[in-house]
Amino acid sequence: MAEAIQKKLQSELEKYQQLQKDVNKSMSARQKLEAQLTENNIVKEELGLLDSQNTVYKLIGPVLVKQDLDEAKATVSKRLDYINGEIQCYETLLKEMERKSEQHREVLSSLQQEYQRAQGQAVGKA
Amino acid sequence: MAATGKVKRSKDMPQGVERLKEEHRKVVKDCRSQIEHWKKVENDYESLQDRLRTLPDKLSYDIMVPFGPLAFMPGKLVHTNELTVLLGDNWFAKCSAKQADALVEHRKKHVKNALDDLQKVMKNFQNRADFTDDLKKLTGDTGDFVDIREEVINQEEVSKGKHRLAHKPNSKPKLEYLLELEEDKEKKDDDEERKTGVLSEEELWARLDELEREEELQDERYRLDSTDTNGEDTTSSSEEEKEADGGSDVQVNGHQKENGWVPSSITSQMNGTNGSHPEDEEEEDCDEKAGNGLPTIYFSHTVEYKKVRINTGKNTTLKFSERNEQKAQTKRKKKSGKTNGHSPHESYKITSPADIYRVFVDLVNGEPIPRKSILKSRSRENSVCSDTSESSTADFEERRAAFGRSWSHDDATHSDTSDGITEEESPTGTSPRTNGRFEAFTGTVIEKDPLPCSIPHLTIAPPALPTIPERKLEESFGFADGRKKMLM
Repeated sequence: MAEAIQKKLQSELEKYQQLQKDVNKSMSARQKLEAQLTENNIVKEELGLLDSQNTVYKLIGPVLVKQDLDEAKATVSKRLDYINGEIQCYETLLKEMERKSEQHREVLSSLQQEYQRAQGQAVGKA
Repeated sequence: MAATGKVKRSKDMPQGVERLKEEHRKVVKDCRSQIEHWKKVENDYESLQDRLRTLPDKLSYDIMVPFGPLAFMPGKLVHTNELTVLLGDNWFAKCSAKQADALVEHRKKHVKNALDDLQKVMKNFQNRADFTDDLKKLTGDTGDFVDIREEVINQEEVSKGKHRLAHKPNSKPKLEYLLELEEDKEKKDDDEERKTGVLSEEELWARLDELEREEELQDERYRLDSTDTNGEDTTSSSEEEKEADGGSDVQVNGHQKENGWVPSSITSQMNGTNGSHPEDEEEEDCDEKAGNGLPTIYFSHTVEYKKVRINTGKNTTLKFSERNEQKAQTKRKKKSGKTNGHSPHESYKITSPADIYRVFVDLVNGEPIPRKSILKSRSRENSVCSDTSESSTADFEERRAAFGRSWSHDDATHSDTSDGITEEESPTGTSPRTNGRFEAFTGTVIEKDPLPCSIPHLTIAPPALPTIPERKLEESFGFADGRKKMLM
């Protein structure tokens, strides 16, 4: 009886750990996105400081490609929106995963209790 | 298992606190390192700005140009005013040195913001760490903290008398009054009936007294409760806050369960237990080690009496104080045994005007009956009403003068202390003076003339029920009017 519970416990534990890893991954992805968000914000502001006399380049691979200032501004804005959208997606994903991990945690705790009880009984019997 | 759990708890507290402190310190360290990093960045930007300012001074510079990772070669730096600036995210812009300078300035602003935020966070966590230190001192060792305990032995002591009914329009006490009032109104011009009416009056005044006392005690209890709950709330919330901060990762668990993956449900339990931990620990300390834990002071609470200021109509403010309770006590004594033979003995020590009332008692039928105020009398025989029916109008004049005087005296007494309460129960201060002239003197009923009657009622009757809300004032008004009608 105790062994069965133990096995169950192990499997649950593994599932939980997997879930935790996923959560961590999403967290780091979200953090990256946030960094990009701040960076693009700075770029936007600095583009605002420039005037059309300065040429703007975009680094695409090893090449610096000339860009129009207004185009650049538009591109940066679009990128900002895109990043925001991505962040939202990741937020919802994270919430889901948190919920699931909660459930798992509860299951694990109950299993653990059972196991301890079973152990106690076994000791008693023995 | 339960036993081991309990033993664990008392040791968990210092361990938990230690853990909390560790976490705090970690955060503070992180903040410090980050602050250093940003400071370095700022310095770099500063030096860059300097360079930008000096760069366009010359048309070209002779420099050693880096050639691969390991070599340099002599060369020239030309176009000193043309700079390609990285704006971020693979965007570049060609600009002059001054424009670049502006850009750098803009970036420095961001860096400063980050630095400020980090400073704030660091300070915050530093405070929290200090607080946990204090907490540790408080619960564990000596320090300057002393536990003050008050043991409430018996609930009865706190709440003397009956519990107060809710003050809704249809609550019982008021109905009683209404009924009695109606009774009073119904009875008219009959001595006996008036006597019974007087008794019911007495009961009414007694009841009013009681309710007033209950109200005061109730207020006190509320005060005590509210302060208690406030204290508890703040401590528990601060505990939880600390827990939340210390346990940003799931691992924080003062209980040190075997499995590291402690579910949040257990942490929430822990919050509850931690909230009760100080008490547990202290109790256990007291139990296990005699007085070895926190030094305790045992405190016994004496019922404080509420001091109330009331504005009684005509520029008189009265204070209700302990005397209320004293009066209540004396009244209770009176009620319990009509004969209050002790009153002269115990109350010769006059400390308040109320004491005067107590001291000077009527001697009716050989029994010392405490005097009510000049507004009321114990027996109808002594009322002016009955006097008018019996006696002459000449007396009426004297009485009126006496009333005026006694009225002024009354005023003085009222401005001193109080109250209708004194009127009700104890001999009035006027009695010594008026006693010589009249037997009992109810100044109110200078009956035929409603005006003087109304005046005393206006000013005295309200003080009769100061702490009880307006309704009762109306009641007293109605009541007084009822009496007036009766007497007339």
